[in-house]
Amino acid sequence: MSSLVSIITASDPARRNQSLDTFCRAASLQELLDECADLEDFRRRSTNLYERVRALFFLYAINRFHLPNQAGMQARGLTPFMGYEHLLNRRFEEAIDVFLTAQAKDGPNDAICSALAAAYHGLGFQTLANQVRRSVRTVRGDQWMFRIGHPADHPLRIRPELNYPQSTTGASANASNFPILRERTPVRMDLSHSGWSDIFFLGMDYPEGARVLNVSIDLAVVGRDTAPTPPVEAYLRVIDQPVLKLASVDLGASVTITDLSEVFDFAKDYLGLLKAAIIAAGIIPPGIEGSGQSLAHLLERIVGPGLGLEIVSNVNNIPKGSRLAVSTSLLGSLISVCMRATGQAKSLTGPLQEHERRLVAARAILGEWLGGSGGGWQDSGGLWPGMKLIQGVLAGEDDPEYGVSRGRLLPSHHILDDTDAPVEVRQKLQDSLVLVHGGMAQNVGPILEMVTEKYLLRSEAEWLARQKALGIFDEIVAALRKPTLLSADGEATNPVQTIGAATTRNFFGPIQTIIPWTTNLYTETIIERAKAQLGSRFWGFWMLGGMSGGGMGFMVAPDVKHTAQSMLLDIMQSTKEQLDDALPFAMDPVVYDFAINERGTYAELLEGDNAILPQGYYGMIIPVLLRIDQRQLSRSQRDELDQFSSASRSRPELNGIAQLLFERMLPRLKASKDSSQSLDAMLAQSGFDRTQHEQIREELRSGRIGLAQNRLPANATIVDVAGNDVFDASHGSLPNECRDAGIAAIESGAVAVVSLAAGVGSRWTQGAGVVKALHPFCKLGGKHRSFIEVHLAKSRRAAKRFGAPLPHIITTSYLTHAPIAKYLEAQENYGYEGALLLSPGRAIGLRMIPMVRDLRFAWEEMPQQLLDVQAQKVRESLHHALIDWATHAGEGSDYTDNLPLQCLHPVGHWYEIPNLLRNGVLLRLLEERPQLRYLMLHNIDTLGANVDPALLGQHILSGASLTYEVITRRIEDRGGGLARVDGRVRLVEGLAMPNETDEFGLSYYNTMTTWIEIDKLLASFGLTRNDLANDDLVTAAIRTVAARMPTYITVKDVKKRWGHGQEDVFPVTQFEKLWGDMTALPEVDSRFMAVSRMRGQQLKDQAQLDGWLRDGSAGYVEDLCEWR
Amino acid sequence: MKIRKAVITAASQFQRDLPLQTMVDRDGVQKSALKVIVEEAISAGVEEIAIIIYPGDENTYLAAISNYASRLQLIEQPAQRGYGYAVYCARDFTGGEPFLHLVSDHLYISSAQADGHTKTCAQQLIEVAETENCSISAVQPTRENMLPYYGIVGGRRVTGRSSLYTVENVIEKPTPTEAEQQLIVPGLRAGYYLSFFGLHVLTPGVMAILTEQVEKSDEAAKLQLSPALAQLATRERYLACEVQGRRYDIGVHYGTLIAQLALALSGRARDDVLAQLVELLATRELTGSNE
Repeated sequence: MSSLVSIITASDPARRNQSLDTFCRAASLQELLDECADLEDFRRRSTNLYERVRALFFLYAINRFHLPNQAGMQARGLTPFMGYEHLLNRRFEEAIDVFLTAQAKDGPNDAICSALAAAYHGLGFQTLANQVRRSVRTVRGDQWMFRIGHPADHPLRIRPELNYPQSTTGASANASNFPILRERTPVRMDLSHSGWSDIFFLGMDYPEGARVLNVSIDLAVVGRDTAPTPPVEAYLRVIDQPVLKLASVDLGASVTITDLSEVFDFAKDYLGLLKAAIIAAGIIPPGIEGSGQSLAHLLERIVGPGLGLEIVSNVNNIPKGSRLAVSTSLLGSLISVCMRATGQAKSLTGPLQEHERRLVAARAILGEWLGGSGGGWQDSGGLWPGMKLIQGVLAGEDDPEYGVSRGRLLPSHHILDDTDAPVEVRQKLQDSLVLVHGGMAQNVGPILEMVTEKYLLRSEAEWLARQKALGIFDEIVAALRKPTLLSADGEATNPVQTIGAATTRNFFGPIQTIIPWTTNLYTETIIERAKAQLGSRFWGFWMLGGMSGGGMGFMVAPDVKHTAQSMLLDIMQSTKEQLDDALPFAMDPVVYDFAINERGTYAELLEGDNAILPQGYYGMIIPVLLRIDQRQLSRSQRDELDQFSSASRSRPELNGIAQLLFERMLPRLKASKDSSQSLDAMLAQSGFDRTQHEQIREELRSGRIGLAQNRLPANATIVDVAGNDVFDASHGSLPNECRDAGIAAIESGAVAVVSLAAGVGSRWTQGAGVVKALHPFCKLGGKHRSFIEVHLAKSRRAAKRFGAPLPHIITTSYLTHAPIAKYLEAQENYGYEGALLLSPGRAIGLRMIPMVRDLRFAWEEMPQQLLDVQAQKVRESLHHALIDWATHAGEGSDYTDNLPLQCLHPVGHWYEIPNLLRNGVLLRLLEERPQLRYLMLHNIDTLGANVDPALLGQHILSGASLTYEVITRRIEDRGGGLARVDGRVRLVEGLAMPNETDEFGLSYYNTMTTWIEIDKLLASFGLTRNDLANDDLVTAAIRTVAARMPTYITVKDVKKRWGHGQEDVFPVTQFEKLWGDMTALPEVDSRFMAVSRMRGQQLKDQAQLDGWLRDGSAGYVEDLCEWR
Repeated sequence: MKIRKAVITAASQFQRDLPLQTMVDRDGVQKSALKVIVEEAISAGVEEIAIIIYPGDENTYLAAISNYASRLQLIEQPAQRGYGYAVYCARDFTGGEPFLHLVSDHLYISSAQADGHTKTCAQQLIEVAETENCSISAVQPTRENMLPYYGIVGGRRVTGRSSLYTVENVIEKPTPTEAEQQLIVPGLRAGYYLSFFGLHVLTPGVMAILTEQVEKSDEAAKLQLSPALAQLATRERYLACEVQGRRYDIGVHYGTLIAQLALALSGRARDDVLAQLVELLATRELTGSNE
């Protein structure tokens, strides 16, 4: 048996928990290939879920991290398009077959390894997701819902207590309103953070290590609310129309559903969560989807003829990203109210029984799967009262998981009693804990994947960290048992102090060892400041949920709690202001008051005059009712108005409703006017070219330009480059004369660096509008560093090494100029000793609402990554909604419904070099140092690019105008490449590829790093150094070349933020001209040089960071840097 | 075990007129539904019958079944405290003997034959009860959409007996989730459960449990039969039996009509009724509905 297979199948934990890395470090290329073959064979044979998944992750890691570093591994290779297509369609097994066949034919190479790694990674997670889905569906008690395909099959009936109209004092004698069932649910906080052990797979594979301390809490926002209340509410009532009415008070959305298929359309509106709850509660069973049955018939069966249901959700303005599992708690609350109303819980009101809570929790998992989202298994903890220990359970013979995974899907809940956590300790906890929302809202999905992956690989450091985290967990549980603890020197201490010390140790130790990306500059800055200001009264920090920056906790001495609340708010606010452009903030920070909720989810029946919905609901509904002619109002609508009118005069919870209604009916236009003014002002300031904009709009609308028109003619021949087309510098073995020429140039001050920083890194933060250059993306040299800082540190090192200052130019745009200038000033240019110049952009575009034609092209004709079944359904429904949006908002019209900065776009990096000519920066530099001859241009995210003397020398000696650096392609390198197009060697953008398959025939990928000979470049513009002072000449020259550059239409995502941390992503159209197209100009002598991947790799997506750190790239970059 | 006594419950305040409706039996004789039920019991060899009635209904009930008056005892249920309490009211009548229990809103049509005669559902059940010597309830497999209407039993098949089950649990009108978690019977189709048929043979043990429950609960509390039967299953051998026949609930919409049709189509007037039905269908004016 192979060594790795024996590790997987070992029954001895010591052997089973051995790390893959240890084995691979000592193995040769052939040994690794043999192990891969054995693992591949083993994973196909094995029937055990755990063994298969672990083998898949071993295969992934070997192909991703170990094989590429082996001596003798070929770098250049091609990935078969067919395999890539399989990957996109989630047919991972087929993809693996294609890639393995290619590997057998061409021999192992870097390209195929990357493709195999992607396929194994995908298959691993697909296998896990399938298992969770199978477990959810096969749980006894859920299966019936998948069998119901007709209203006549439906076995649920509404509880009689809800199904009779009743009179109220405000309404007519025989009024028609029905009682309201209200469920109020606390949210949960995780007091321990035991290494994300509530991820389903961890609980199912390592139930012994899956433990959390989960506390149900009520919340209030300090300065806004009077006292903590359960943050989540769900309301249900019968209505006298055969429809389903859904309303979300916090999102300000409501819908009346008359068609069954609309219930399954999750992304059509903001009510997806409510829909998922109704389905998971069995009211609209999942089995009826697509049956074509009538919703009215179904409701008749459940509620009665002519009747329907109204369901209202309310989250008391708790912002998104609080890491308190608000959305799962709301889902649980909604499911619970629906289950109570249909007799699926014995108690209509009051708390739930244990088995009912478990059922609701299981249904919440089903609901999350239906809605295409997912949380951890502790997230529905708010259903339970007080404090509880939730832990994984070994699967027993009666469990559906038995024989498939070691643990059960659903954990066990042990509610802590007075011995486990006495009342005094609970009080002390509440007296010392300050809960905050830092304002960042980030996607934790990639983090959870990383945790699963690292767990399966048992990487030494991470595995040790996990064991340490479990030890810290035990310390916290022990500390909770005693109201007073004795310190080492015999002094009585508050247990919260011990807990605070433990959670802090956990955050800075095990948690960051497992996932370095949980922390960020913002979090560490506020911890530092809080520590400094509170001194010994600061007892600890504790991270909530998947990552920090959103919901977080600080433990402080009880006597300073109130001071600490306002102090932390100030600290967070001021830190946010400093970092606002560098990190994705969704909202202003908040501080909460909280109280432990000792009764869990709880329902009440509101009858007669008490049958009142939350205030915000009336704010939404009443204006609509008032607009309807009195005579057309239904009886229940009239009664609703009557009852509301009487209640609004007498009930304290409806105080202020008059003001709210007034605001709703006569909204102030001031805010939107302001923003449109500033957009106009900004356009005017930036010299926005309205004529060009209108011309582009006209061409876009008439179909002359568009996504499909970006492409080269279909008859263009595109083939891979041959041996002599590319100079191979990837192994670093260049002749000495190159090195000498380079060193001579640097020493004589002939070189400067240009970093392109005009963009906002749409992919980096999914369109959040963060200045990517300023993003402190990773800890290097012990501190968080921004992209700019890394580039300056490389220039500093090169300058010192050759004893010559290296001027560094950062190109900016209207989106990035002011933030970068401000940040550099605040950081004192990171102490950069050489000249540091900003080159402001001179071109700007206004985003447009996309053409439906382009959206369809992007979503339907281009190869798309297919998602998991449910997630895919949600995405398709979202695409429909966005196409509707584009149609209604007007295709091709200006996109102005957002913050001004989010409506503008930079017009592509081609303009950045001409900007240098036009804005006087190059002129100034040349005047100051006439010896300057060469520029090294690179993208902000190409972290490995530095002024390497040998590469520079090669460029000088070749006599080229431009030398582009390229790298061998891996599967993730999408978007064009180096090709021979109709005989000419040039770079082709992905947008311009006439056929998706062409790209897969190209073995080199553009890094964008370009060595430029200034005079030759100027010549290609028809200019000389002396002409740079002549604005008109320069402008005319640029216009002439620009006209020859293709204009690409692109569809990008832009985020629109609203409410309390809510975000919508819209597609917008913009245009750009790209630097790589310079290689298409016949008069420009462009050459190409292959460099190592570590030098040429670009970081486009935050999900790449972990691999970048692990494969040694981060170390490579660190070695090039010299920090201030 | 010999079954001599039967208890029929008919004391529900809102359904007490149901058994008094006139039907035409298999032989073409007009009689009340109650009489059909009483005859079902008598067919099985029962000698004495108690009917639990709503206070004041004595005369109307006696009039409906006058010719069996000698075997009958009418017992008034003093308070509307649920089905279980109604059965409890017959404790003195049963006096420590096992008894056949029928509900007054169900009619049964048997499909079992013996010696050229139809063997009624009550006969079938009593026969098994006397052989097995324990409490036994008639059941039939029912789809889960009918769960809101019946008591459901969970259990497993008695080895070697295709229509006999050991009862392990009983839940009245369970939710589909409860049914799936607690009442699945191996061997039944997915989504099918064993629901009560309204026909039971019960041992004195049931009366003992009901008495305990009455004593434990306060005076206003409702008592159901299903929890008592669930408890019975934990105390003594309790079986369920699929009888050959069908039950007709006259308490639901069109229940009486369907029951009457079923009676007619299984009796002497079958051809005549069929002919009239066909004529009715053939001459029915087609209205716009395409459903």
